[in-house]
Amino acid sequence: MWEFATRSLEASTIFTFAALGELIGQRSGILNVGVEGAMLFGATLGFIAAQLTGSYLIGLLVGLAIGALLGLLHGFFSITLGGDQVVSGMGIWIVGFGLTTYIGNPYTGPLGMARIPNVFGLSPFVYLGILLVLATWFLFSKTSLGLRIRSVGENPAVAEVSGIDVARTRYFSVILGGMLMGLAGAIYGLSYNPVWNYNFLMGWGFIALALVFFSMWNPWLLLGGAILFGAMWQLSLSPELVLPGFLSRYLWRTVPFVITLLVLFAMSSKWFRGRWGAAKPAALGEPYIKG
Amino acid sequence: MPQAILSGIKRGDVVLELRGITKRFPGVLANDQIDFTMRAGEIHAILGENGAGKSTLMNILFGLLQPDEGEIYVGGQKVTFRSPLDAIEMGIGMVHQNRKLVLAHSVIENIVLGHPRAGKILNLTQARAEIEALCRRYGFAVDLDAKVWQLAEGEKQLVEILKSLYRGAKILILDEPTSALAPPETKKLLASIEAMSQDELAIVPFITHKLPIVLATSHRVTVLRQGRVTARLETVHSTEQSLAKEMVGREVIFRLDRVAVARGEPVLQVQNLSARSDRGFMAVKGASFTVHEGEIFGIAGVSGNGQQELAEALTGLRKVEEGKVLLKGEEITHAPARRRWQRGLGYIPSERNTVGSIADFSLIDTVLMNYYFDHDYTPRGLVDYARVRQLTEDLIAEYGVATPGAEVKARNLSGGNLQKMILARVLSRKPRLLIANLPTQGLDVGAIEFVQNKLIAAKRDKAAVLLISEDLDEVLSLSDWVAPMYEGELMGILPGEGALREHVGVLMAGGAKGEEATP
Amino acid sequence: MKLGPYRLQLQKRLALSSAKAGAISLLAIVAALALFSLLFILADVNPLTAYQKIFSYAFFNRFGLPLTISRFAFLLLASLAFILPFRAGLWNIGMTGQLYLGALAAFAVIFLFKGDPATGVRLPPALLILLMLLAAALGGALYAAIAGFLRGSYGVNEIVVTMILNFIAFWLVSYMIKDGGMFMNPGGRGESFELPAAVRAPMILGAPFTIYLALLLALLITFLFARTRIGYEIKAYGQSPAAARYAGVNTAFLPLLVFLLGGAVAGLAGYHYFAAVPGVYKIARNYGFFGDLAFYGIICGLISRGHPLAAIPVAFLFGGLSIGGRFVQGELNMSFGLDYALLGVLMITLVAFQFFFRYQIAWIKTDKEPRHVGIRN
Repeated sequence: MWEFATRSLEASTIFTFAALGELIGQRSGILNVGVEGAMLFGATLGFIAAQLTGSYLIGLLVGLAIGALLGLLHGFFSITLGGDQVVSGMGIWIVGFGLTTYIGNPYTGPLGMARIPNVFGLSPFVYLGILLVLATWFLFSKTSLGLRIRSVGENPAVAEVSGIDVARTRYFSVILGGMLMGLAGAIYGLSYNPVWNYNFLMGWGFIALALVFFSMWNPWLLLGGAILFGAMWQLSLSPELVLPGFLSRYLWRTVPFVITLLVLFAMSSKWFRGRWGAAKPAALGEPYIKG
Repeated sequence: MPQAILSGIKRGDVVLELRGITKRFPGVLANDQIDFTMRAGEIHAILGENGAGKSTLMNILFGLLQPDEGEIYVGGQKVTFRSPLDAIEMGIGMVHQNRKLVLAHSVIENIVLGHPRAGKILNLTQARAEIEALCRRYGFAVDLDAKVWQLAEGEKQLVEILKSLYRGAKILILDEPTSALAPPETKKLLASIEAMSQDELAIVPFITHKLPIVLATSHRVTVLRQGRVTARLETVHSTEQSLAKEMVGREVIFRLDRVAVARGEPVLQVQNLSARSDRGFMAVKGASFTVHEGEIFGIAGVSGNGQQELAEALTGLRKVEEGKVLLKGEEITHAPARRRWQRGLGYIPSERNTVGSIADFSLIDTVLMNYYFDHDYTPRGLVDYARVRQLTEDLIAEYGVATPGAEVKARNLSGGNLQKMILARVLSRKPRLLIANLPTQGLDVGAIEFVQNKLIAAKRDKAAVLLISEDLDEVLSLSDWVAPMYEGELMGILPGEGALREHVGVLMAGGAKGEEATP
Repeated sequence: MKLGPYRLQLQKRLALSSAKAGAISLLAIVAALALFSLLFILADVNPLTAYQKIFSYAFFNRFGLPLTISRFAFLLLASLAFILPFRAGLWNIGMTGQLYLGALAAFAVIFLFKGDPATGVRLPPALLILLMLLAAALGGALYAAIAGFLRGSYGVNEIVVTMILNFIAFWLVSYMIKDGGMFMNPGGRGESFELPAAVRAPMILGAPFTIYLALLLALLITFLFARTRIGYEIKAYGQSPAAARYAGVNTAFLPLLVFLLGGAVAGLAGYHYFAAVPGVYKIARNYGFFGDLAFYGIICGLISRGHPLAAIPVAFLFGGLSIGGRFVQGELNMSFGLDYALLGVLMITLVAFQFFFRYQIAWIKTDKEPRHVGIRN
């Protein structure tokens, strides 16, 4: 049971990192449906870097860097070129899926390093995740930068005439967001599941994306959602820890996805939709052309 | 600190000067050698029709566009604005017609947004004290913690003005300052403008057509036409007629002739209708009225008082919460939109670019929007394109739509021509009930006349016409019945003939309900 | 950038002819292949040799060509399944899940009627093949309908939903064919039972009939968009849901409809790969690989800009590239997943090229222009 709890909290942490990355980008008006691709890149390159250098730190930093690079790329397509953000996000996902399969293949198998030690019985990333939620909340409700990011996501034209550099603010958000996604992937590949296999995320990024919609762009609600989803995901991976002999293990794997669908459906209720509509960044997904 | 240029200015000092401003767009000369001088404490109106080059000039003044030629001087010093930030730093503040406010944020967040003194960590206490001081000074009343979307139009405008003043603006540019305001709100705004000009602020309202406002407030007027300055006048020496002539380049007739048509059967009966806005509050509250054959029923009101929701509820695009809608005696309260079209509804929506037409559709496909469900044009589910093309070409000829052909995409038509095409399409179905929502908004004078005459022609053809307009003069001159709308309620139903402008104006601003007339 | 009196400038396109759009698409593919040669260079392989081997195996080899043709039909069906909702402005990235469900439904038919010792089935094989096709289409359609329904009636984002459905379907297939699942091969190799010879898809001119079916569907869908009322409604909704609503299109039903249609086509893609391609005739152990291939349908649909006929050559090319890629990977001792990498490179190049569909680069004369006044303000 204790093992289940620690594992599920670590899973929650990965969801938290990735979803916060998406949340920050979305708050600035940039939708990135390619979370899974960014995570795959972070996981694969982080894994390879750590294995080659023997250093977890370098692995994590590589994950962070590749995430930033993909954020930059997504920013270039959707901010500078003003393209369709869904197309670009799809691109990030498919390129992540395709290229990491090729790049990572020679490294298939376990990482082969001593595991990252727990701190007070929990993965150190759990604490980092909670700090990050706190920092994100502070950013958006107490700082000028947060107000600028929110404004750019609500109404870029207004932000522009208020003297805010819309493109810069959006680049900042989407790169920061990409870093968190890449880092989430690296934590997955280095700590949570350090055995590389092709497409070994199987949907983490998409659940994280859905999580942002559930959270109504509130970091605390996001944390709550991440804890639930982490537990559910862990349950689906190792149901024998809690409910041995109940349901086929394949059916268990569908459970988090089925529940995600049910939550999406529940969220479309009238009560929810009004609040959701009010919380949604008004300019989300829309390219901004200056002037 | 560049703002120092304008510190210590005295009443009458030149604060802003434009010399030879020229701006070209591909194939268009939007501003042609414009000269303009502005003094402290002066209210200087810039007057011009849509397309006269006002917006371009305004955007240049505010750094959103850069002139191709010409110079800008602030306080006698030559400046270049690469962005609005430069203009703001020079003490220029802009109040936009389509409000530049973040609706989801609070008033105070909007005011401090982008302010250089906002600091890294937001300190709202000090900002609040300063803003409250400004409010007291000019007599503004606005709740700083309210979300902007909760505010009335007039209050939003105050927020924009406050934002500029808080940033230290000495020159205020107001874009169509009264266009979205009801008459009493307009009065209040004009008083505030007066108060600010007493305080050595230079104020530049840009105005399209509300000439009485120009006459009532400004000290001087500059008139633009086709990108050039055609007149510089002292307001005391001008009249409405003379301003209009300078602006349009010909004499303008201000009133349309009313056409008398025998009143027929009731076509649209609305009983106690309620509908919600997108944000979920009740936007239409218990509206009841009847429109008969051969009459125009005008709904007058400032945008955002539920007219949009009313139109959508009647056309099947919005859920009716309560009440009944009858079309020619048949209940259609919850009928789908297509059914209503088939029963004789015709709807001209206010959003002609996004709802009334599809940018990438050819004019043939644009016309098909109201015909695809018609079995004469789509027999057995297959579109008879030859026939639709013929119809489109006929309509283009009949309505004088300026286009190289029927294959042209809707996005390539000008606003007036697109509206003609939509009008042609809707009217060609010979609707028994025509609902026209802001049909002349944003059009130039010629197109406005054309559209208004078509509405009268529809009435003559015994259609029942429901006209929704923000332009009180338009409603009064066209309608047989006028219903002012305020916060979702119809404030009365008055006969159009002889309705007093002032009376209707007060009602559409929420004044005491008028006596009911029974149409 | 300036050159004498001329200056390089970006202009927004007002109109894009189909010839130009085709040229840009072609250019995107060429650019992607150029970019892809980097992978060969990094692996110390001469890209020209590699491409020569890819093309000659895929299109001119008697072992490679039939594989290419089968894969082409699969990619075309996947592309059509993407295109149908795409023209309505909706993203179906759930072809994978839909084709799994199509395959499961088709195999369910045989599961129900197998057993006769002579032919292996208890109904006339022709009838069963027809039933399998219908079941595949229905399975895919109903599965996709979940996304269409949620989108149309409740406004739930279809990208997230279709992707989630992919994962659910993936595990459902495992459940059915592995660990004692109902369709498990008695040999227990983690794959489904094999189709009895009698109900394998008939071949026409040496190719499974599904290839002709795919081409026929491309024609039908072209006709649907060009001439029919329902096609017009789909296009109107795709360009502007608000305008379509105004015109009386049933905006709750339309997303459901396009997903039903798209899902049916995806279901047929599942039938094609698991019940019609020679040498397979079962839901294979590595069914995930076939599912992943469906993502080529997204790229193919985007490059052909939603035109079913344009999707035909693109699907043929991509089919050949992925077959040839897999071949040279073995031939030149390269790392596994070359065809996956190609998928990624094609996609990202395409995203970059989206820009040129909207903008053109032109040399502008910087001399003063003639004086026109009005219009723009």
